[in-house]
Amino acid sequence: MTSSPIQRAGIVGIPPLSVMELITTPDYEIFDLDEPQGRVDLETASPFLPRVYCGILRTVIANSLAIQPDIIYIDTGAGKCDCAVHTATVLEDMLPATRIIRTRNNDSVDFGTPLCKTQMSLMEKMSAVTASVQKTAPYPELPTCAPTAGFWGVPPRDFSILNFFPDTTHIYGWARCMENKTPDNMDLELHYNPDIPTVFFAQSFCAKTALARHLASKHPRGLYLDCDVTAGNSAKAKIQAFLELSGIDA
Amino acid sequence: MLLADFGTSYCKLLDTQSTTTVPRLIATRSIDRSMKVDIATGHNGKRYTTHYVNELTALARGGLSLTREQSFTLLDCGSRDIKYVVYGDGKIKDMGWNAECGASMGFTIELLEKYYTLDFSKMDVPKSSFSVTCGVLGMSHIFDAVVTGASEAEAVAKFVKGIAINAYNFAKQPEKIYLSGGLCDNPLFVNSFPCPVVSLGRFVLLEGLLNSLHLPSFSDLQP
Repeated sequence: MTSSPIQRAGIVGIPPLSVMELITTPDYEIFDLDEPQGRVDLETASPFLPRVYCGILRTVIANSLAIQPDIIYIDTGAGKCDCAVHTATVLEDMLPATRIIRTRNNDSVDFGTPLCKTQMSLMEKMSAVTASVQKTAPYPELPTCAPTAGFWGVPPRDFSILNFFPDTTHIYGWARCMENKTPDNMDLELHYNPDIPTVFFAQSFCAKTALARHLASKHPRGLYLDCDVTAGNSAKAKIQAFLELSGIDA
Repeated sequence: MLLADFGTSYCKLLDTQSTTTVPRLIATRSIDRSMKVDIATGHNGKRYTTHYVNELTALARGGLSLTREQSFTLLDCGSRDIKYVVYGDGKIKDMGWNAECGASMGFTIELLEKYYTLDFSKMDVPKSSFSVTCGVLGMSHIFDAVVTGASEAEAVAKFVKGIAINAYNFAKQPEKIYLSGGLCDNPLFVNSFPCPVVSLGRFVLLEGLLNSLHLPSFSDLQP
């Protein structure tokens, strides 16, 4: 009796819960292609996507080339972005041996957002949020802390910008939608706390830059920030100064 | 105490125990690299001190101290970068720092002044300007204009005005700008803004360092 080999499954964005339930089994090894996977050279994506393009999707292409998954589930619905639609087309031509499955995540059952509201270093918290995509069981309860600062947006390509925030930072925006497993929940994405200084972040060249900047202008103490692949000194200094001048110690 | 703003082209130093309260201005290339100061800011500052203050923080604190206003936009135009802070009702509202795209403006203006031996105090603000996004990219406009018959002074003036407008747009087109940095001494640049400008001079970040230490403003320091 022979067992079938483990399938290498890549995910882009947040596939529907039904898909995640299907692949979170011993038959699959899951790779979150949105996240840097080891020492993958981002430049390998350049023949397939413009250099001036979302750093997350360039990462998807570079990871896919390096890992060569057997199957890729890429969400191309409103819960991801238009750029993912085109990236799916590129993937299909780039990796003919890989099955590219386009999904549209319309899940609307709230899983809750305990991580986004708990006291924990922001880097650790954001890592846990992104890891939660691969979990299908209900979340354990976590104590909610009183927020002193806010981070609105998507998980950044460069997590080092999260180091400047205090442990009592609450996460808002699409990252909160991620944890809630409702990536297409616009009401949740638009939510922010006007009483705490908040950094509104988006990846450079992402359509969400418009929303981030718009919400930052509405927020009484909001700072808009965009970064490409890695955060430069000026981006880091902006966060540091904004929090410091808002009276917040990280 | 020795306070310093280590800029790209110039370093500004203030000794609070000195008999003069006028900060010293030293070309960065002439600075003793083994120097140590009590507190520093500026993009070269970390190597010279153990107490480093973020440039935007120093700018904001200096602005609060010098403008004595609760709501203002303060724009710093340096050799390498431009940055701004916006306060509203005494609270930080917005800030920006353009160090990559849009950079090297001050440095380029100084190079042009020396290369073409211009006197910016005697040049009129032109009616039109070049569309300038950064010092390096904007240079080609000058060369093109000169080739097609414009005088060097006229071409450089349009370049300088383009830089001022770019900085104004970067600061989100405020009604009034408080200006900081070495370009405060350039009347062509200051007068090229499409809004009223109040020049605070090139020592605003030093003022911010004094403020960080809860020391009086250097204009109030007594020898």
